[in-house]
Amino acid sequence: MPAIRNRIRELRAQREITQQELADRVGVTRQTVIAMEQDKYSPSLETAFKVAIELGVPLEKCFQYDPHGRR
Amino acid sequence: MASSLSYREKTLYASLGAELLVYGPYFFLHQQNSVNNVAGMIIAIILLQIVLQLVIAIFTRNRITDERDRLIELRGYRAGYLVITSLMVIGLGMLWLHATIGHLSLDSRMVGLHFLSVFFGMLVIADIAKTLTQIVSYRKAL
Repeated sequence: MPAIRNRIRELRAQREITQQELADRVGVTRQTVIAMEQDKYSPSLETAFKVAIELGVPLEKCFQYDPHGRR
Repeated sequence: MASSLSYREKTLYASLGAELLVYGPYFFLHQQNSVNNVAGMIIAIILLQIVLQLVIAIFTRNRITDERDRLIELRGYRAGYLVITSLMVIGLGMLWLHATIGHLSLDSRMVGLHFLSVFFGMLVIADIAKTLTQIVSYRKAL
């Protein structure tokens, strides 16, 4: 299990936002959104906040930290 | 697969292709010890890179780079630095060894060209290591 997990895919699907739309709003590439959704990339704090704001949820609803997860 | 590649990834694959296309024949087919050959390779790689980057830029609509691209770029440079410093240490060690056992003749007219060839080779290997590291980093978890 990765140390930082997220619910971006689930929250994005609920709001019917495409990966490209989210990427454009946050200012990253679609490939970075894909990497985040697959837990292959942990974004910076600034990007994490932007993602949470665009998805309309507090940061902790979008990203979770597991202290026993792999870095 | 092409549409799933970001602008940076496309440029990396193009760079790797150009490097292999230009340096491959140089190292495996042509005579290596020539100043003209080295200069020709450098000019060829610069021109090929410019053309390829231009073509990619023209045909890629979204050309933004983000924090992940920058992180991967730094990883690539770190890998390239480690490779070139390792090669330099090995090269200096071999030079010292040959000088110690008396196999090295610095009087030879060809010694400058040999050094040029070796240093150019080190740069090429480090550059390819940098590009490969970046390509792999795009495909695995960071």
